[in-house]
Amino acid sequence: MLRVALRNVRAHLVRLGLSILAVVLGVSFVAGTFALRDMLSSTFSGIVDAGYAADAYLRGADDSPQAGQDGASAGAVRTLIPANLVSTVEGVDGVEHAFADFTGPIVLVGTDGTAVASAAGAPSFAVGYYPDDPTINLTEGSGPTSATEFALEVTSAESSGLSVGDTTTLIVGGELTDATLTGTVDLGASLAGATVVFLDAGTAEEVYAGDGRVPTISVFASDGVDPADLVADIDAAITGVANPGAVETLTGEALREEARADIDGMLGFVETFLLIFAGISLFVGGFIIANTFAMTVRQRQREFALLRAVGASPLQVFASILVQAAVVGLLGGALGIAGGLGLVTGIKALFESLGMDLSGEIPVTTTMVVLSLLVGLVVSVASAALPARRAALVPPVEAMRDESPGQGRSLRIRGLVGLLIAGAGTGAVVAAVLQAAADEDAGTGTLLGLGAVGVVVGALLLAPVMARAVLGVLAVPFVAAIRPLGKLARGNVTRNPRRTASTASALMIGMALVGAASVLASSTQASMRTVVENEWQADLMVQSATFFMPAASIDDIGGLPEVESADGLAVGASFVSGGTTSSGDAEETMALIGMPADAFGRSWTTEAISGDLGSMLDGALVVDKDSADAEGWAVGDELTLTTPSGSVTAPVGAVINSEALNAPVVVPLELFEEIQPQAADQVQMLLLKGADGVGVEELRDAVTAAAKPYVVLSVLDDEQFITQLAGQVTMILNILYALLGLSIVIAILGIVNTLALSVIERTREIGLMRAVGLGRAQLAGTITIESVLTALFGTVLGLAVGVALAAGMPTVFASSGLTELAIPWGGLGTMLVIAVVVGVLAAVWPAVRAARLPVLEAVTVD
Amino acid sequence: MSTAPSPSRPDAAGAIATARGLVKTYGKGPTAVHALAGVDVDFARGQFTAIMGPSGSGKSTLMHCMAGLDTPTSGTVVVDGLTVSSMNQRSLTKLRRTQLGFIFQSFNLVPTLTAAENITLPLDIARKPVDTAHFDAVVAAVGLADRLKHRPSELSGGQQQRVACARALVSKPSIVFADEPTGNLDSVSSREVLTFLRSSVDDLGQSVVMVTHDPVSASYAHRVLFLADGAIVAEITEPTPDAILEVLGTLNRKVAV
Repeated sequence: MLRVALRNVRAHLVRLGLSILAVVLGVSFVAGTFALRDMLSSTFSGIVDAGYAADAYLRGADDSPQAGQDGASAGAVRTLIPANLVSTVEGVDGVEHAFADFTGPIVLVGTDGTAVASAAGAPSFAVGYYPDDPTINLTEGSGPTSATEFALEVTSAESSGLSVGDTTTLIVGGELTDATLTGTVDLGASLAGATVVFLDAGTAEEVYAGDGRVPTISVFASDGVDPADLVADIDAAITGVANPGAVETLTGEALREEARADIDGMLGFVETFLLIFAGISLFVGGFIIANTFAMTVRQRQREFALLRAVGASPLQVFASILVQAAVVGLLGGALGIAGGLGLVTGIKALFESLGMDLSGEIPVTTTMVVLSLLVGLVVSVASAALPARRAALVPPVEAMRDESPGQGRSLRIRGLVGLLIAGAGTGAVVAAVLQAAADEDAGTGTLLGLGAVGVVVGALLLAPVMARAVLGVLAVPFVAAIRPLGKLARGNVTRNPRRTASTASALMIGMALVGAASVLASSTQASMRTVVENEWQADLMVQSATFFMPAASIDDIGGLPEVESADGLAVGASFVSGGTTSSGDAEETMALIGMPADAFGRSWTTEAISGDLGSMLDGALVVDKDSADAEGWAVGDELTLTTPSGSVTAPVGAVINSEALNAPVVVPLELFEEIQPQAADQVQMLLLKGADGVGVEELRDAVTAAAKPYVVLSVLDDEQFITQLAGQVTMILNILYALLGLSIVIAILGIVNTLALSVIERTREIGLMRAVGLGRAQLAGTITIESVLTALFGTVLGLAVGVALAAGMPTVFASSGLTELAIPWGGLGTMLVIAVVVGVLAAVWPAVRAARLPVLEAVTVD
Repeated sequence: MSTAPSPSRPDAAGAIATARGLVKTYGKGPTAVHALAGVDVDFARGQFTAIMGPSGSGKSTLMHCMAGLDTPTSGTVVVDGLTVSSMNQRSLTKLRRTQLGFIFQSFNLVPTLTAAENITLPLDIARKPVDTAHFDAVVAAVGLADRLKHRPSELSGGQQQRVACARALVSKPSIVFADEPTGNLDSVSSREVLTFLRSSVDDLGQSVVMVTHDPVSASYAHRVLFLADGAIVAEITEPTPDAILEVLGTLNRKVAV
């Protein structure tokens, strides 16, 4: 009897153990997300505090080039302010120091001959060095005093490998400069991998404030001066010196608050994204718990019947099951918190290995703990509620009967609801596609999204209804090839379609996601290929890892004898006004591309929808179709482009619809230079044509050699360009694959859970089959086939839903550059292989367990 | 019809299954329970043998050891010339597949398979071809020809047990072990099943061993063995229910004294 009791405990442990694990995984994700967010938040607060340490700041009032009465739009760049305000500010009572902040991008070449940059992609920038700046703390050597000297922030110095006294190359203001490291500076905070180079103030001013204007002026107060009073005094002092309303003064604390709020907003986005996946994993974990309780409840039916017969109320039975669920939830929640913290520790270590130091301890907040436990509890209890209710409502007499009640309740209602939701979802998707096909610019993305959710939810509900048919088809090869195991396995998975379907749901969700994403990714790549093949005329392209190309490198490369033409594409922004419609916001900041007027047809080509691209040679502008439609521009309209540096007015010469030149306005380089005085420093890519008789390889060799000193430049041909364009898509796909990994882990848990429980449930049947001669290996084989069939079911259904949804996207998002539909059959095939592997892995433990069941005990078990 | 205080050993050469010195002990030391205390028994080829005895007498243990479902503590079991008691799991599985047929009290059928599939299950597992003529003969004998496509849940208890009987016989085993095959059946269904078992012996030459506690069921056998406290204490051949009751009565009186 003891053995039976022990076995019961063990069986319970197994059942509950897997449920707990499911909760642990989901809660880990939740707890980890919160902890990561807190950690990033404190890291960035540290950076903000170190970066904005002054008592008060002066900055441009808003993004308007004029007086600026219109509200600044979100994320707008502020205008620059005159650096010479410093002298005025220094005269104000209570001001100890005032510094104009000269800052800008820089490239530092480390001892290994490459640009110093963290793998995490943190920026590299230079700031002006003021010896009397109280925030600067020299840890070694001295500050830079000339254009050939520089200092480094301590962690930057470490990662560059340079020591004080070493000479290296800087790319400052687009020029290669040899300079000597004179000292290191501690800013008192982790910089999350950013590289900070200190140049002497004079050099920095010359390079980054050539026109005498800076983004901010930092003000340090004398001891005991209230920042608010200081701000008021400065405001009074600059009135009449600066343009009225063009300069804003604020306390250091106000600026720090603002910066932190910006960062929190960004982190909030990351948090939401991660929480969505935590939600999915909890949702699926819920299925595992519900499955577990449904099965244990069925097994313990007679026990409950006995309890009911001796006078327990349904409510008491219900409560007894929920208590068990609550224990599972709390235990899982507690372990999940530990798991989450472990996860974040791993992430921290990973970032550190990439050169991005995240500050401090991993925070454990009360909110996080309480929320995690609550999530575990709610998911667990909610999932167990339905099976518990069923157990509580079974009449004692019925439960006392020997045979377990039939499998169950009809799937009709569930099927109808599923059909309804899936139908509505499909309708929404089709409507979105049709609407998009009819009118390219209709905003149908939301409709598509809602439809997609409907289809997925509907498919989840319909899965049990479809299970028998789909599994029947999937099982055909197994039934034919592995007799009689295939048939036995098919019988087992179709026996309770509801259970099989919910077991497969984890994979279904994950695979739907991956199916859609991979179709989307390959379609995007195909679309980009089409664009590049159609529009690209250049032989090679040069790009910089630092976004903008050093100006000197453009001259170097353009001057090569092998190069016929080198067309630089410069990017900038300005206010654009004009056009025929007088919409409310007549002035808007827009991105500009400046390119040589003759570049069209030479390096780049595209069809003009209206007008003539050749008009650029006469100083006309080329505008993008979407912007033209939105703003009401047409060929012949006069547009005025205004920046702080000036204003030009030019006619629209042509309207284009180019996916590659994705800017509203393309400006001939001469005009661009008029309003963007630093145009030479704003070149993002250089398109090259080889001289007559120069092969692409010869050209590439020459250009690569010329680009080499500028460490950050890369030379790409069109294949490489496509790969690079597709890089972002690949990255998103990789994130989704990582999340698929998570859903696979949960799916394996779910299948293990279901199989282990059904082995317990089917002990008698297994004993019987063993008694009539089924070998251990055959039994294990049957269970493995069941597992593989379940995994394949989830995968096939998920991929079908995902691919079907993604197929609608090219129509809907055609205006965003997605024009081709490409289905990656190879990739989808890989997913099926993964499903088989998942099935085999999940089967190992339950199969071994089943095979080890002693035949006699199995046939005689009560 | 004769009674004897100790089991007779009819011609051991004609036995399909024999046990010698069979001991099965559960537990150790003073708390040890001797389920079988040195049993010598022969089951004759082509005979229907019933094993009777009070609860705890060891009748099920005897059958489990004979069938290779349980391992004896000591002693040997030989079935159709094969020494079962020294076999490993693999050989036992093969033995069950090819030499033995089983009928249990309940839960005899795989719920996901049809009646026909359940009957041929041992052959399918062994990947042996189905002897159609034999299959038809067995199915006709149990009277299930029109029920072959049904699932177990669509069959009555008696029909389910007849399917189990057909399954036990279809692979032409050396011997069929039946563990309380009529324990859950009404008297009409019981009679059908027992009549079928008897006729399988008389008409097909099958050897059958059945454990039961019901004198009426046991009276269908050629020979009844009585077990008490792990030993064979009595035996009658060509039994009637009354004769069986009489023996049981004496056994009970002995136990009571």
